Order: sequence, then C-alpha cells, then structure tokens
Amino acid sequence: MEKKYWKGVDELHNDAEFVRLKNNEFFEHIPIEDVISKKTEEGLTPRRDFLKFLGFSVAAASLAACETPVRKTIPYLIRPEQITPGIANYYASTYADGYDYASIVVKTREGRPIKIEGNTLSTISKGKVNARVQASVLSLYDNARLRGPVMNNNMADWTAVDKAITDKLSTIAAAGGKIRILSSTVISPTTLKVISDFTAKYPTTKHIQHDSVSCAAMIQANKDSFGVEGIPSYRFNKANVIVGFDCDFLLNWISPIECAAQYAETRKLNNGRKEMSRHYQFESALSVTGSNADIRTGIKPSQQLSYIIALHNAIASKAGMKSAGSASVSAPVIEKLAAELWANRGKALVVCGINSLPAQKIVNGINSMLDSYGNTIDLDNLCNLRKGSDADLVALTDEMQINEVAALLIFNCNPVYSLPHGEIFAKGIKKTELSVSFADRADETASLCGFICPDHHPLESWSDAEPKKGFYSLGQPTIAPLFNTRQMQESLLSWAGNKTPFHDYMEANWKNISSDVSWGKLLQDGVYEKPISESSQKHTSSADLSLISDDSKNSGSFELVVYEKAGLGNGMQANNPWLQELPDPISKITWDNYLAVSPRDAREKGWKQGNIVNLKTPSGSLKAPVLIQPGQTPGTVSIALGYGRTAAGKTADYIGVNANVLVGLFNNSMRAYSSPVEITKTIDEDYQFAATQSHHTMMGRAIVKETTLKKYIKEPNSGNEPELIEVKVGKNISKQPVEKVTLWDEHEIGNHHWGMSIDLNSCIGCGACVVACTAENNVPVVGKDEVMRSREMHWMRIDRYYTSDFDPKEGEAGDIKKMEDPSDMPKVVFQPVMCQHCNHAPCETVCPVIATSHSSEGLNQMVYNRCVGTRYCANNCPYKVRRFNWFRYSDNPKFDFNINNDLGKMVLNPDVVVRSRGVMEKCTMCVQRLQEGKLNAKKAGRTVKEGEVNTACAQTCPTNAITFGDYNLSESALNKMWKPEERSYHLLGELNVQPNVFYQTKVRNIEEEKEA
Amino acid sequence: MDYPKTKRYFSFLLTVFFLSLFSISSANAQDGEALFNANCKSCHAVKEKVIGPALMGISKRRNEEWLLKWIKNSQAVVKSGDEYAVKLFNEYNKVAMTSFNLKDAEIKSILAYVKAEEVKIPATPPQPPPGSAPVDQKPIWPWLLAAAVVLYLLSGVLRRVQETLAKAVRHKEGIPEPTPVSNKKRNREWIRQNKKLIAIILIFLTIVGSVKGWYSLMAIGISQGYTPDQPIAYSHKLHAGEMQISCIYCHSGAERGKVAGVPSANVCMNCHKYVRKGPETGTAEIAKIYKALDYDPDKGTYGPNQKPIQWVRVHNLPDFAYFNHSQHFVVGKIACQTCHGQVQDSMTVAMQYSPLTMRWCIDCHRVTNVKMAGNGYYDDLHKKLLNKGLSDSLITVETIGGLECARCHY
Repeated sequence: MEKKYWKGVDELHNDAEFVRLKNNEFFEHIPIEDVISKKTEEGLTPRRDFLKFLGFSVAAASLAACETPVRKTIPYLIRPEQITPGIANYYASTYADGYDYASIVVKTREGRPIKIEGNTLSTISKGKVNARVQASVLSLYDNARLRGPVMNNNMADWTAVDKAITDKLSTIAAAGGKIRILSSTVISPTTLKVISDFTAKYPTTKHIQHDSVSCAAMIQANKDSFGVEGIPSYRFNKANVIVGFDCDFLLNWISPIECAAQYAETRKLNNGRKEMSRHYQFESALSVTGSNADIRTGIKPSQQLSYIIALHNAIASKAGMKSAGSASVSAPVIEKLAAELWANRGKALVVCGINSLPAQKIVNGINSMLDSYGNTIDLDNLCNLRKGSDADLVALTDEMQINEVAALLIFNCNPVYSLPHGEIFAKGIKKTELSVSFADRADETASLCGFICPDHHPLESWSDAEPKKGFYSLGQPTIAPLFNTRQMQESLLSWAGNKTPFHDYMEANWKNISSDVSWGKLLQDGVYEKPISESSQKHTSSADLSLISDDSKNSGSFELVVYEKAGLGNGMQANNPWLQELPDPISKITWDNYLAVSPRDAREKGWKQGNIVNLKTPSGSLKAPVLIQPGQTPGTVSIALGYGRTAAGKTADYIGVNANVLVGLFNNSMRAYSSPVEITKTIDEDYQFAATQSHHTMMGRAIVKETTLKKYIKEPNSGNEPELIEVKVGKNISKQPVEKVTLWDEHEIGNHHWGMSIDLNSCIGCGACVVACTAENNVPVVGKDEVMRSREMHWMRIDRYYTSDFDPKEGEAGDIKKMEDPSDMPKVVFQPVMCQHCNHAPCETVCPVIATSHSSEGLNQMVYNRCVGTRYCANNCPYKVRRFNWFRYSDNPKFDFNINNDLGKMVLNPDVVVRSRGVMEKCTMCVQRLQEGKLNAKKAGRTVKEGEVNTACAQTCPTNAITFGDYNLSESALNKMWKPEERSYHLLGELNVQPNVFYQTKVRNIEEEKEA
Repeated sequence: MDYPKTKRYFSFLLTVFFLSLFSISSANAQDGEALFNANCKSCHAVKEKVIGPALMGISKRRNEEWLLKWIKNSQAVVKSGDEYAVKLFNEYNKVAMTSFNLKDAEIKSILAYVKAEEVKIPATPPQPPPGSAPVDQKPIWPWLLAAAVVLYLLSGVLRRVQETLAKAVRHKEGIPEPTPVSNKKRNREWIRQNKKLIAIILIFLTIVGSVKGWYSLMAIGISQGYTPDQPIAYSHKLHAGEMQISCIYCHSGAERGKVAGVPSANVCMNCHKYVRKGPETGTAEIAKIYKALDYDPDKGTYGPNQKPIQWVRVHNLPDFAYFNHSQHFVVGKIACQTCHGQVQDSMTVAMQYSPLTMRWCIDCHRVTNVKMAGNGYYDDLHKKLLNKGLSDSLITVETIGGLECARCHY
C-alpha cells in the first residue's frame, strides 16, 4: 500500500485557482502591452525614441562610472582590550521574558549583539534555543522601543520621573493605599529580592504574578493532591509511554526547549537503538506536539475531562484503586492505552495542558498510580516557570474596579491586550492614582499608564534566573543601552531609596546564593547549578477524586480552542518581523492568524478557505478568516493568540485578530477554550493567506520515507529500499542501483567534505532552525504581500506533508484524484529542506555565467557578484531551494521591516554579504563559519576537530535532528549517521544528483499502518 | 634675511661661550647624556614636565647629597619624612620614582649633562644641504603656453611678410596676380591629394583611441595609487622605516583576524605620551592626537571632550569579497609589503599600492606555494598531494582550491 502526500487542501481539491496558478509561471498579469506601444507592434522603433534611450544609457553609464565616494574609517579612541575589530566576542547570558527561558551565549561583533546561541553548560536548555529566543536579538533593535521615560504622555527625564513617582508612592504608602506590582512569573531570585526590598519600604505593596497562558490549575491541583504547591520537573527522557492531553509540550508548554530535548532522546534510533517511546496525544486543534504523536485522537474540549476520567478509571481497575466519578466515553483507544500504561508503570508519563482543576487532579491521580512520581516526574525539584495565579489577577481586577488600588506597577505583561476583558482592566488603570509601566514600548497597557519607565532589553540588562530549584542562570549586558532606558530593578530600587547600581546589588545577592564560585567565573559560565540529585521520592495522590465526574454539557454547537504559534507565542515579541514571517509549522501560513476549521465542518457548513466569519463566545466576539485545517477535530475550531496587536509597532499592529477576547474564565481559571461558540459567515469574501508551502510541489513521490518500528526492527531498511533502475547495456537489461548510473565525473575532494544529516524521526518541525538561519545569514524579511507571490527568502524551509491512506486496489491505478481523497485526521510529517549541496548539481550545469559552481569541499557555491539573474538554476533545482532577490530589500522603503533602517541593520552579520537586487541566493552551509573554523585550525597548526564548526540550524536544533560534519573524518558523527544507518537516504534519490545532505527515515511506533 | 642671520651668529657665540664655561664638565656630560637617555628619559625631560618634573635647575633646587640619596632610593627619602620629598611625592600623584643602582660618579655625570642642557638653545631648523639649489615648484605650462602663442603670432607675421614679398616680386616682374582661392577650397584640394596619409592617420587614431579607451574603462573602480589626504599627516616612512616600528605593533589585527585595523589613539599614545615634538610638522600633528583624546600633555590628564579621528579609508574592498589578513599573514606567511608595497621606504602618505582586483588576487593564488610543512592542518592533504607526484614547489594555493568562489565570496 502506498502512502500519498498532498501538500495542502488546495491541491487536494484541485481548486480552479490552484490549477490556474500551477499551470502559469507568471500568475500575475504582466502588462507587456503597456510597455510595447502600437508603433513597436508595427515593427517600427522611432528614431527619436532610440536616441532618447541611447542618451539615457550614456548618461547612466557615465554617472555609474563616477568616482566612488570617500569612505572614512574611524577607529576607537581607546580600544577596549577584549575587542578586536573583525573578531566576534561571545558572552554567556540569559533570556527570560516571563514566557520563554533559555541560557544563552550572545555573539557580538564590534560591540553589537548579532546572534543568539544556546549555552551548552546549562543542563536545562542544553545549548539549545527556540525560535522566539533566537529572534529576540532583533527585538533589541526594534524602532518601536521608547527612547526614554514618559510622564503623562510626554517624554521626560529620569530625575523628574523619579521624583514624581517617589512623591506619589510616599503619599500613598502614608495613607495606607494599596500598591500592586503586576508581572508575569518572575524567575529571578534577585528581582524577587528587589521586590521584597520595595515592599519593605512601601509595606502596602503586594506582588501579583500572572501568565497570559496560565498553569494556575495545575499548581492548585498539586497542592490538593500532594500538598506541594508548584509545578514539577518532567523527565520525558525516562518515559516509554507518553500521553498528552491538549498539551503542546514540544512548543509552548512550561519549558518547551527542555521538554523537546528530553522527548527527542526517546525517539532516536541511531547507533543500533531499536526502541523508542510511544506517544499518544488527545487534542482538539492539530498542534506541533500532536503532529509528532504516534497515535493522535481528536477530542472536543468538552470531552477532555471524560477521556481523562475514563483513562483514570481504566487504570484504577487494574491497580485496584478507587475510581473517580463517572465518564461518559468509552473509547477502545482508552482501554488499549490504559493497558500499555499499566504495563509500563514507572516508565509512563501523562501530561495535561488544560487549565482546569478537576482535570489536573485526575491526571495527578493517574501519574500517582503509574509510579510516575520519582521516575518520570520530579515533584521535589520544582520548576519556577509559569507560577502565575489567575485568582490573584481576578482579585486585582475586582479591587481596581472599586477604586481600592492606589498604585499599580506593571512589568513583563500586557493585561489590556492579553486578558479576555482587557477593557475592564484598562478602566481600572484609569482609576488608580499612580500607574507605572516598565514596558519597552507604549503598548496597549503602557499607553494608558501615567508613567512609562522603559526597561532595558534583556540583552542590555544584568539578570539572573532560577528556572528550576537549584538551577541558576546569569545574564550580563552585551551592549551598552541603546536608548535612555533603565533597568526595571534599578527603578524599583531607586524608588525604594536604594541608589546601588543593580549590578552591585546582584553581585551582593549572589554572595548568598553561591559562596563557592567567584563572580567572574559565574558570569563567564552564565550558569550555576547546585549539585542536586534527581529525586526518586514517590508521591501518592491524596485527593478525593470520586466527586469529580464529567459535568460537561455538550451543547452541540462549535467549541473554540485557542493556542500559541511557534513564532509569536503569546504575542510579546509580535513586532519582530522574523517571527511574523516564520511559517506556522502546521498551516505554513505567515503574517496571520485565522480560524482553523475541520474539513468536515467546512463541507457541512459550506465554508470556503478565506471566508470571513463572525465568532461569538460568551466572552466576546470577533471576525476572522477561515482556514480549512486537516486534523482539526470536527465540531471544534481553533485560533492562535499573539496576533491583533494594536500598539506594538508598525510590523505587528493590526496583523491578525486578538483571540484573547474569546477566552473564558471558569472558576477563576483562565481557560484556553470556550464553549459554545457561534459562528456565522459574513460576506463571501475571499481573504488571501500568505502560505509558504503551496509553491513547492513534490506530490506523489516518496519524499519523506517512513516505516513503523515493528518493521524497522525486522528490516532496518524498511521504507528505504534501494532504488533500482533498468539499465540496458548492449542486449543485457539489468536493474542497477541509481548511484551506479551517471553521466558525470566524480569531483575531487580536498581536505574536507562537508555534509549534513537530518533525522526525520526527531525533527519536530518547530522552526527554530529557520530563524537561526535568518539571523546568521542576513536573510531579508519580505512581508505578507511578497510571500503571497511565493517570493519568501528563507534559505531553509520545513515542509509539512499530510498523509492520506489510499488503497490502490480500491481505485484505478494512477487515479490521482482518488489518491487525494482526504482523511480528516491525517498523519503529519515534517521535513527541513535547504540546499542539498549536490555533487552532481543540476543548477551548476545551467548557469550561463558560472555563478554557481562546486567546491572541492562538497559545497555548492553561489557567487552573488557573478550572478546575472537568469534564474535558470532555480528552475533546474529539483528541491526548489534557491531564492531570488526580486528587490533590494536592504534599502527599499517598501520593505520596512528591519534591514532598511539604521537600527535594524545593526543585527546584520558582517561576515555575510547583504545581497543586492537581481541575484540568486541559497543555503551556503554557513560557509563563513566553515572558513572561520578552518582558519582557526590553520593558525593553531592542527586539524579541524569534530564539532568545532557547526551550521546555525544544526547548532540551535532543540532535538538535535540536524547533524553537521565532515565525511573525511572517519569518526565523525556524520559518518556514523550515514553508512551504517540503514535509514539514511537522499531526497529524490532517483535523480542521482548525489546530495551531501541526507535524511533518515521517519519511524512511527505503531502496530499497523491503519492504527489510530 | 638679515635678522635670522644675526640671530644665528648670536646663538653660535652664546653656545661657544657657555661651552667654554662648562668645558671641564663637558666630558662628564657626554657620559651623562648616554646615562640620561638610558635611565631617565622615559620619565624626565630637562625643560618639560613629563611623568616626573622638569629637571632644569635641579642642582640649584637641591644639594648633591640629597639628589644622590633620592635617585638611589626615592622611597627611602620619602619615608624618612623629608619635607621636600614628601611634598614632591604627593604633587606627582604618589607615583614613586624608580630606584636606580647607579654609582655616585654616574649620577654626577647625569647632573652635569642636565646642567649643560639647561643652557642649550633649541636646535636650529635643519638647513638644506649645501649646494642644493632651491627647487622651483611653479608649474611650467604657463610658459609653454606663452611660448606657443608667441610662436603662432610669429609664424603669422612671417607668412604675411612672405606674401607681401611674393606680391612685390610679382609686381616687379609683371606677373599677374593669381585668382584668390578660398581656404575651404584649398583644404579640400589638400585632402584630395593626401588621401592615403589621412587614412593612415585615421586608422592610427582609432587604434590608439580604442586601446586607451579600453584601458581607461577597465580602470573604473580600480583605485591603485589612491593617496587621499589624511586628517593627520602620519608618515609610514618615518615610523616604520626610520623608527623601525613593526607593522604589527599598530596593525595588530592583521595577526588575529579579518581586519588589520587602523590603530586606536591609545596605541599612538604609547609613544607619543613621551614623544611630543617633531622636527618639522610633528608637533602640530601630534597635537591632533592630543586634541582627539582631549589630553593635556602638561598635566598628563585626559579630558571628557574626546572625538574620534576620522581617517580616510585607503583600501576599499567591495562588500562581496571577503579578505582575511590573518590567513595571509599568519598562515600564508606573506609579508605585508607584498600587497602594501615598500611602505617603510617610500610612503609619507598611505597609498594603495596594489590594484586589489580579482585578477590580481587570482594571479597570486596561482603562483604562491602553500606553506604546508610544519602546519598540522595540512598534514593529511600534504601527504596525499605528495603521493600524487606533486612536489612542494608545485603545490600552489590553486592546487588546494584557492581559486574556488566560496573561499572569498559569501
């Protein structure tokens, strides 16, 4: 049985529009007639026109030949000792914005940060970062940032602001008025100390932590079940069976970088490993985590609790424990899962991302019965992330409404935007005597505050973090503050009467945290981890679950789920063009959010892609375009948070809609779903999405090879059988492997032979590599309009294919339409594709000016200054990885994103040229890094060591799915991946272009193809 | 011209007078000069304050016994509570003077030298060597132009004279006047008679024009010989040539990375904190460094109004070409002069010596041998190439891929 991939609903349905686009190279009307006048049509070129053109060309040529302008070179007056122009400096630091956390290493050139890399010393983020942390370096150079403090909507200076605020605070404190500090979760021990110092000075202060995506119910549940108020540490790497209930732990849940790395450990099949974890996912919208699951079950939000109860009761009956209340579902998958979990006691893990107390309590019960505590869950080393309390926030909002809050200080959160009832909070701000925001821009909340005291960007600040008990990370500034901003902690300290600079304050505080390591060493390492052993302490749930039963009322109407995207997350960095242009891992849509509906519902309701619908929930309403999303559970719709900003900056404002207004509040828990939701189609409008994938047709071929674990164990090359080709020599006809049949001469290989391996079994499709590549290689942002014209510039993309089972016996062979029959719940595969650096590259042979050629190190080289822009190479590339510069993005006011202004240009990597208009570009395998690594080795008189050079994508990949290396080193990780691994294959191997990049078969841990 | 001459005579007489006065100590003073230069000069000058005080009149300020003690161990004198010593120590920011293990006689000769220097009149500016005629810098072309005009006028006059004479002869011999021929007609006639010559001239001009044109078009964007005016008249010839300062001392980046770098002003100050004057324009030029750093040479302090020096960039590679100095200087062991010319011998103003074209790069890569021996990076490759029958003299940068595009273009 052959599996068919189709690359989008458009292709599946063969929409008239899609067919038209597919068949037309130039799908836009090209106004040739306007250019060619009547006279030229008659074959006459008027002499005067000819002379005019001639005169113009001569003038243009002589202008262009003018003397180049005098260029200045301005050295330092007193050069800082550690800076050598042209050589990068690396500083260990920390990125923690209340939503994402990572220990990072910041690459700076001549004093400006240009790239973020992971700190390999951290055992939490393990040298990896995700797309948002990777992109945060661009947020540093955001033109929307405030240039200095603002008092009553006017720019002010710090002395005046300090005096006004201190005066007000003193009066308020003297009168006993309530002072409230509202923030997202603070994981910095020193910041917490600053807040407590501030509280000591102004005793009526209370610190309230709230996360826009909340885990409050989980904390409460742990308190009820185990008496431990907090979020445990998870050990996905120790689990054989992983179950997720509406929990996107690979992308957005509590500590996604850590979880993704642990998860990937259980999915690796290299070095002869023959076992992998099995992952079950129950969810409504198709998440990145769900698309990686072996067995995915679509459930409605109203069914969540009953599925969890059913699973609990099934396990309880095996364990001989008391069952919880009654469940209204009985699905075969639950019985099977319960048996599997029970068989894997101590090696099982059930996680639940639903912010609902009963659901979390029952999941605790399940994990307790499965001996997860002490094995796959560590409840003794608590995680400090996402500790916000919804109840506190609700209480604060109520207090504000009755004029009880006199002073409100807000940092790292934007409640007017992110709360369901933001407008109520906005009214509350107006009722306070003193409102201060520490936001870096006049965002939705800050613009309503009396004072904005802009905080430094994390890359300009001193900071520390304790993401997990005993695991510390330190942050140091990597650039002098760009603007007249001041660190939030320093502001609080100075208002509390402490004039110590925050650096000194932090250093003093660190004497209490680590007395054994010197301050210099702490800053150099960037991490400090106390020798804490993983706890194997068992915990047994003591909560009475018998009273919890499925109380959901299925109204029969649609149910709404909100989720966060890989790029924008909760929308804090919405004004970051890199993140806006990062395609959604599933829908591949950029620059938008939308209402995802299931194909079945779309058929039934007559919705078409791009229709605008009205959404109404008990909390609020909005208009959004419809996207038909396979994998969406029928009866549910979903929409992403983070969009629809109105005061974030010109990149983000009015892009998409703000879905926060739809979120409901149930029993003081901010819940990521709403039921019921009314959806009414408005006009039959045709909204255009900017998707990156409809352009790369690879359908109908075995592009992503896959197999099942069972087959793999039996036959390691299953799914990857060698390609044979019929060869006729004389009268002998034989079948030969494709590699044997070639017209080409072999290339001579020099000192290195670079290559890359991509393990499709561990790629989760998160997109961190895409942003890393953008940052490293000065890839321009082109904007929605250009993406719609398929002119995105990303050097690497992650292709996503949906599967559809089709039995050729049932239909006629070759009946492509039947093969395209959609399954509403497809399986998903991800495949990162960049230039494959073919040894027999089709692009090289067609270039008329030899602007692309092969190197003796296995690289396909692209020379921008030689390229004349015929685009033959792109047309001849079977992988469609070449990108054409339709414009000079770096200095064109139409592309007002980052590289056309002086501030945004500061992020450019000076070792990579900014490409001009009219030239082709593509992945270079980070040749600037290879050259640097080689030079360092030459200078030291040694060979390039394994792991010494790495590409940006491989370096950042949280799951280590990409391995870069040198084929010439016999012991390199790359060589271990290539030859002995029977899963390795070349993409489109039948073409025999002999790429230096290879892939490894995806293996699903399922019993049969038809399962799930 | 009279006044300076008298002044010079006067100064000469004065010198002779004083020298005769100190003729006894002058033998001493010669040793003293060598000792002074070796030991004292980095912190002291006779007439100016450097790091320590000016030494003029020191023998009058303190007695010899005190000076001997002080020079041998100044800190001991300070600790003994000597009032003058403590005051001096405090005045100079408590920077202790180095102790010198010198003999009494040696110190005395230094003091003698200081005394002799006190009365010396500053050296007169160097005279042009005898016999060299003053060079007339005035351009010659106005004279040539005037000569051309005169010659043209003269030829006109002569022609008229000739015509008049011919007319007179005709008149005398009764030959009738020829019908006047217009200039145009005459020229046409001439052209008709000299077709071959004109064709040859035209062909010649076309060939010369195309060759010249081709080369001038090819030279667009090439700035070989570019010698822009710089904000400070810094001379490589003086520093690298006469003073023998290594290139790497200032352009330290060449050893470490991509950019050789224009030195920051603090590198200049390593020497120019002490060297404050030059014989000709030096004093004014050095003052520009001080101005940039807002440095007060008398007090030795830096002020807040610092302003970077804006040099004019001489070597401008296009953005799409990546060039790394350390690759060539450290790994390739290429001398700076190979690309930058004999900077130390000829360049009073920095000049672009090489064309910096791609052809120039490639030509060098084709013929330059790779220094493989002794570099562990090349060991395997070296063996492989030798096994292929290549000898060291045949292994050029080109052999190991040095002409590949992505070595320089990315």
